[in-house]
Order: sequence, then C-alpha cells, then structure tokens
Amino acid sequence: MTPKQLLCFQIKIMKLSLNWLKDYIDPKLSTNELTERLTMAGLEVESVETINGDTVLEMEITPNRPDCLNILGLAREIGSITGKTVINPKIKSHKIPHLKNLIQIENKKECSRYIGTLIKDVQIKNAPLEMKHRLTALGINAINNAVDITNFVLMEIGQPLHVFDFDKLVGGKIFVRRAKDGESIVTLDGIERKLDSSILVIADTQKPVAIAGIMGGRDTQITASTKNILLESAHFEMGIIRRACRSLGLRSDSSYRFERNVNFEGVLTGANRATDLLIAQTGGHLSRRDEISINAKSIATKIKVKIADIESLLGIAVKPVQAKTWLSRLGFKVTTSAGALTVTAPDNRADIQADVDVIEEIARMIGFDHIPLELPHVNMVNIVVDQGPREIKNKIRKVLMAGGVDEIITHNMINSKMLIKTKMPDIKYIRIFNPLNQDQELMRPSMLPSMLQVAVTNINRGQKDFRFFEIGKRYFLDGEKETVGILLSGRRSNDWRSSKKDAVEVFDLKGLVDRILESLGINAVYAPNSFAVLDAGCAASITLNGKYLGSFGKVDRAILNNWDIKNQDIYFAGIHLDEIYPLPRKTLKYQLSSEFPAIVRDVSLAVKKETPYKKIEETCIKHGGDILKSVNFIEQYLGDKIPAGTKGLVFSCQYQSNTRTLREDETAQVHERILQALIQDLGAIRR
Amino acid sequence: MLWNFQDIHLQAQAEAKAIDNSQALEAFRLKYLGKKGLVADIFASLGKAEAADKAAIGKGANDLRTLVESLIAEKSSGTISTKSAVELIDVTLPGTGTPLGHTHILTQTMNEIIAVFEGMGFVAIETPEIETEFHNFTGLNIPIDHPSRDAFDTFYLDAEDPTAKGRRLLLRSHTSPGQVRIMKAHKPPMAVIVLGRVYRPDAVDASHSFMFHQVEGLLVDEKAQFSQLKGLLTEFCRRFFGPKVIMRFRPHFFPFTEPSAEVDINAEVLGIQRKKWLEILGCGMVNPKVFDAVGYPKGKYKGFAFGMGVERMAMLKYGINDIRLFYENDVRFLKQF
Repeated sequence: MTPKQLLCFQIKIMKLSLNWLKDYIDPKLSTNELTERLTMAGLEVESVETINGDTVLEMEITPNRPDCLNILGLAREIGSITGKTVINPKIKSHKIPHLKNLIQIENKKECSRYIGTLIKDVQIKNAPLEMKHRLTALGINAINNAVDITNFVLMEIGQPLHVFDFDKLVGGKIFVRRAKDGESIVTLDGIERKLDSSILVIADTQKPVAIAGIMGGRDTQITASTKNILLESAHFEMGIIRRACRSLGLRSDSSYRFERNVNFEGVLTGANRATDLLIAQTGGHLSRRDEISINAKSIATKIKVKIADIESLLGIAVKPVQAKTWLSRLGFKVTTSAGALTVTAPDNRADIQADVDVIEEIARMIGFDHIPLELPHVNMVNIVVDQGPREIKNKIRKVLMAGGVDEIITHNMINSKMLIKTKMPDIKYIRIFNPLNQDQELMRPSMLPSMLQVAVTNINRGQKDFRFFEIGKRYFLDGEKETVGILLSGRRSNDWRSSKKDAVEVFDLKGLVDRILESLGINAVYAPNSFAVLDAGCAASITLNGKYLGSFGKVDRAILNNWDIKNQDIYFAGIHLDEIYPLPRKTLKYQLSSEFPAIVRDVSLAVKKETPYKKIEETCIKHGGDILKSVNFIEQYLGDKIPAGTKGLVFSCQYQSNTRTLREDETAQVHERILQALIQDLGAIRR
Repeated sequence: MLWNFQDIHLQAQAEAKAIDNSQALEAFRLKYLGKKGLVADIFASLGKAEAADKAAIGKGANDLRTLVESLIAEKSSGTISTKSAVELIDVTLPGTGTPLGHTHILTQTMNEIIAVFEGMGFVAIETPEIETEFHNFTGLNIPIDHPSRDAFDTFYLDAEDPTAKGRRLLLRSHTSPGQVRIMKAHKPPMAVIVLGRVYRPDAVDASHSFMFHQVEGLLVDEKAQFSQLKGLLTEFCRRFFGPKVIMRFRPHFFPFTEPSAEVDINAEVLGIQRKKWLEILGCGMVNPKVFDAVGYPKGKYKGFAFGMGVERMAMLKYGINDIRLFYENDVRFLKQF
C-alpha cells in the first residue's frame, strides 16, 4: 500500500469511550448488548478494548453518517435505539464585541462559514488529567490545554477547530483563499508541503498559516509562550478538502470530518463550546469575534413519506404512531396525516434527502432481522441474452478437462519486462495510469507471459509435468478480447504399460485444439505460419474462411531461456473466442449410418517432405467419387528406407454405399484412380 | 451305436460338480457342446442309427444339451470362481488414460453461485471490465470527490473515455457498472446476474488482491420488496453453505442502494473460530437515484441488488486461508478441486 493509501484507511475507525458516553447518556446495557445493538442498527462495532479502565468501542462509521463521528452523535443514536434520554452539555451563547475585518473569505463557495474568536492573556499549560484521559482513550495525544480543547470539542460534538498564536499572524488578519503556485507550508507534523492553486489555505497577510480543514502550520502553532489565541471554527466544502487530502497525501481527524460534511449549525456551537472551555482552563478572557456566514441557514426540507410506500418497500406492516416515535427519537420533526408522515430531518442529517432515506431509518429501528422472509416473484426476464459465450466457454472447459488440462486463473496485470522476455517488445498495450507498483503496470495484450509465469512457479517447485488452460482476456484500446490459452509441458501421461516416458509434443496440443473445434462444430484450416513467440518450424495458424481464429506451436527456445525454463519444451495454443462467438451455430441433423459393408484399403506412399498430408486427403476425396466415405491417417515414416527428401505416409481409404453392397471390382477401379492421381498430381511413390 | 444316456447324464453332473474354475468350465463346455463335443458326436451317429432308434437318440442329444447348458449356467452364476488360473491380474495397479483435468475452484464456485440464481429465473450476463466513470461511479450515485468513493479505490487507465472528454477509462472496481449498462439497455422487469473480474489497488496479502471476482444480482420490477431480498439471499445461503447456515442482515451504507445491508454468516456453523460473524455479501433496495440515472420514469420501478466476492465465498466454503493461492496456480492446489 502506498503511503497515500495508507492514510486513507488509517482513520477509518471512530472510537467510542463508554466513560465519556456516560456524560450524556446511560444506556443501561452491558458492553456486549450495546455492541450488538449498535451493530444491528448499522453502526458496526469492530472491536472492543480496555484503555486505563475505560471501555472503548472501535466502530466503522459509514460515509453517510458523519453525524456519528463524535461522542454526542453516538449518544443520540444510542438514545434512539434504547429510548433513553440524552443530556446535552450546557453551552453559553456569548455576547461578544465584534471585530471587524478580522476575516476575509475569497472563495465563498469553499468556505461558507468562518467564526474567528480572539481570546487574550491565556496561560498555556497541560490540560486537566480527566480531559487528557478522555483524549488518550480515543487515541489522541495530549499536547497542551488549548490544543487539547480543540480536539475535545472535535470528538465531543464533531466540529473541527484550530487555534493560532494570534501574535504570530502577520497583520493580525485571516484570509481564506486558494494557495498560490510555489507557496509552501511546514505543517504541525514538521513536514514542508508544497502547495498549489487547487488547495484552500488559511493565510495571514504574507503566507499560508494552515491548510484549510486539514492541518495547521508550525509557525503559528500554540506554544508555552503564546499569549493570545485565535480560535477558528469553520465550514469547508467537502470536495475541496478531499481533493487536497489526495494531492497532499495528508489526512487528519479534521479533514476526515470535513470530507464527510460537517454540520453548518455546529460551527457556532463548536466555537462557543471551545470558547467556554478555553476561558475556563487557560484563564484567558474573551476579546472579540468576527463571523462570516455565507448561507445563513440551510433550509430544512420537509419530506412526505407514505405509509403504503414504507410497507411496500420493506414488506412489513408499519403503524404510523410507531414510525413517528422512532423518527422523533432520531431527532426528526414529524407530523402525521392520513396515510402519510411529513418529516423534517435534524440539521446534522444531511444524508436524509428523500423518502427512501426516511424509510431506511424506519427499517433500522424496526431491526432488519424483524423483517420477514419472502421469495421474489421472478418474472420472465424481458432481456434476450446471448448465452452463447458462456455456453462455448463451458463446453471448452469440459473438453479440456477430459483432455487432462487444468484450468488456471492468472493475473492479467503484468509488467513490460514480462513482455520483453516473451519477445513482444513492440506489442501495443494499455498502461495503468496509477499502478500499485511496477509489477502490475499494464493490462496484458497476450495470455502467454502470465501463463509462462505459472509454468515457472510450478517448475521451480519440482512440478514439471503440467497441462494448463486459461480462459481470460487480452486488453487493447479497442476492447477486451476473450481468449483460451493452452500450455503443455512435461511427460505425456503416466501410462505404466509403456516403458518409454514420452514428452508431450505438438500433436498432443493439436489434438486438444481439434477437440475444442470439433465440440464447437468448426472445420478450421491449419497452415504453417510464423509467429515471434513460436518456433519457426513448429507453428500453425488456425483459420476459418480466411478469418484468423488463433495459433499453436512450440514456444520459441530463446523465450524459454529468458524465463529460465531450461530442460523442457513448452507448447502453447491461443484461440480467440471473440472470433468464434459470432460464428453461426452448427445445426445438427441426423445422417444415416450405412447398413452395407465397408471396404477398407490401406495405402502406403512416399511423398516429398513438404507435401502436406491435407493435400493427399483432398486429392483422394476429389477422385473418390460417391463411394469414398473417408480417408483415415495411420502413420508417418521418416526413416531412411525411402528416398531422401521424402516421407512415408500410411493411410486407409474406406469405401461404402448407403444403398447397396459395393462390388469388389468397382472399388478397385476407384482406388486405382485415386492412386494414379496421387502419383501424377503429387509425385507420390508407391511403397 | 447305442448311447447310455442315463450314465452320460450322471457323468456330466458329476463332472460339473467338480468344476472350480473358469478354465475347467470351458473345458467342460467344449467336451459336451463343442464342435467335436459329445452332443455333436451323438447327432453325427444319427446317420448310421437304426430308424427305430433315431427318435430316442435325437431326444437324448437334445436333453443332454439342455442339461449341460443348465449346468454351465448354474456354475457361471456364482458357484465357481471365474478367476482365470493363468492370467491373474493385479486389480490394484493404476488404471491408464489421460488423467482428469480440473476446472479452477473459482470457476466452480462462480458456477455454483450462478446456478442457484439461474434456477430461480435470473439470467447471467457478462459486461466489460474496462469501464467509464459513469458506469462505475456516477450512474451508481457515487459522485466524484465524495467519501463514498473511499470504498472503491480504482485503477485508472492511460486512455481517455470516448464518452467523456478529459476523463480516463478505468478498470471496474465492482461488477455494479454492469447493472447500469443492463438497465440503460433494457426495460424492467428483469432479474440478472453479472459476474467477472474486478480490480482495486489493494496491496496483496493473505486476504487482499488487486484483482478478484464478483457475482452480482439485480432484480427490477414494480413490486420488489426488502423482505423478498432477505428471502432470496437466505435461500441462496442455505443452498450454498448448507441448510444449517445462520445469517443476519445488518444495516450498512452503499450509495446505490437504500436501505442497504451487509449479510453476515455465523462462523461457528462453518467451523471457523476466528470471529463469530463473517461478512459475506452486500445488498439493498436499488436507490431511486440509480433509476433516475438510467432514465427510468420516476417512482415506477423498485428493485434490489446484491453482490459478493467469489474468492471470499470459496475461501469460507473450502477453508482456503490465503487468497494468493487462487492466482499462484500450483498444480497441487488445482488438482484438489
């Protein structure tokens, strides 16, 4: 995981201290019961730990519930689950002299509210022990009273805050603006970070003093000698904070909440709560405040929810009175009318926008486990799906299984070195823009490299006999191409009756290709061909009506050497399924099997080495007339008992009629005609 | 020549009694019924016999044949061992022929999952792995720069999306873009399964891989209910894990469903001690915003969707403890399934 990603996952967990929780609510449940109830209400407790005698629940809060990223929010949720009352902390609303022009917001869309409160003559020291314990239980380091208060309020009510040493702000002013290209800031963690115009910052008249919503700067931080404090409580737009976190690779408890949206109303509450605590604990006094609020108040929308819609979506009967009670406990304002509820969500529930959102709240309160089980009425699907590809793939799997080939599933993200090792330096491929590492930098344009990788893995473990196939994709700019790759190596089989342990060779591979094509009803043509990856003397293309379906052959020795495969040959076939899918399906029709006897005549010939057997077969068929039923290959002889430059071929011709018993003399006549044609057309010599 | 049929019969019966192997039985058969056997001899003697004796001799020969046939039948049906005295084969030697190939356990698991839903009327469809941001995110109510994208870190490709200028194509981070494609192309009702490889930039360890497989289901009609989703998935788990499975539906959040749930199964039933509950799949009622995105009329349709990781299902069912084993393809692993 890259450092950036690590940070994304670091702060996934919200910690709930049960001691702290009891300031606001006593759920009167055992830890186990509380854990279970929270989890089944959608607030999953991942683990429970004990820290300094306090029980701390580690919870996964889903991104739609930023209101639960603080203790008071969780107290409210527990209140609605248990029906117990929540006691909110008492927060004074201060009458504060206004300080004009302390704050200037340049990007009002990105900072819709900023409250700056100036507290003078503070004494910076350690925070009280109780507050320190609270923070430690949640995994937050205690620093000093001022900073600890901002963290305390963040965890208590969810409003991110920041404190500046006011005397270090040049010009005594705050600007909320985009950073200028070339600006940089040393953040509280001591790291210098380069900024650019995509990042929102808090600045004084000279320079950025904080990265908005993410982290403050070291130069203006609170130190033991700080006398005057500027407390920031603000609302930043989710997207700009999220983008800045990503580009900086920096996240914090504050940014985590801003990304998920903080409550606009909480900005003032947070400022007031922190002001109370700062005055009480630092001995400072409230000087002045400046506030800029762009959209004065978010207008709470009323949502109408029909009872019938609740019931039909969930599949359970719901009493309006009961629904009203549940929603009220969750802080919703509810009025009932005939068959419907009209609700207004609390201001911290920005996730509630439509009736389904309200129905989900009701479902959570009912408890998903209380919703009955039914089976859906699946209608005849209105989609004509071409099941061909899946049928074809399953057919191929069956054929290859019967042929003793094991299916593998390999990584299709590979690196360019693998391509070079496989003699494909110039092949076009799609590069991954943000790879995890260089081992997975591109989408494979060929099956062979990842299959060779599997061969190497097995050879290194002493498993040298293998037959593999993979049905996977190759990736190109114009699309994904489905392919069957077959890789054979090692001994043919373990037939203990033959003393010779033959290695597999190309005809074993061809046999598999034959059987695949036969199972699909395809009469393909094999022709010698040359491919960069295959041995020049042992490579064939597979075509049908001139269309290229794939290839097979012996993998080039140089490639195997590159892969450190030393003592064995490897045979590879690739069949392009995307060329096969559109082919018309073979229609099957019964062919009469003749009830009359067949006459079989063996033929033994020597022909020039370069004459393909296929040619001989074609010549036979051409001259065989109606009675030649089939030509069947028997064997090939390459020894020295025949003229140099020739090969011996033995095959048989089968003669048969569907309507009568053939006469000996007519068969002999046709057979002789075939032999003469072979001699004259192909220069064959009788043996 | 006269034949003492009574003695011949007694003799044959005595000989048959002594037979204890198939060779002896064959010799017995040849002695009486062979081309040069006794029955043939008797028939041959007919030519030289007195006319008066012919009927008796003919009958005697036929009776003898019937007797010998029945004796042979009796012996063959079990009273003797048919073991060949000469060629005693060692039946424990291995049989020959091409050994069986094995389909990958992920293919098997995927087919097993799909078969359950196909049996209920769902149709399985494959859609592309290279996707657009619209199909993978926006159409599924996952806006750009929204924290709900955190769960879907994504590989982008060095290629521009031809449908959205300036945006890159990506490798789908879940099979859900298939839902968007299918809904854009078809009108409900529909019950479909989407399957295949998905990609997330997760560092590889025993339980994470940057490439894995998902199976996803979607049903859309005018009456889909959460209770039906629960019933369907409960039935699925019973068939996949066995009738004893214990499961729970826990509220969760997915941008494309509302209400959303995660399904846990009780680990003890599967014999796994690590944790009491194990999460196996996510599901929910299709969020109306998704129907909006694919252009369905407002309020007309309801639907539910669910998705699961094939590797995870296979690991739980077959006790595989490391996800890397699936892609390493050691023959000793492959041959087990």
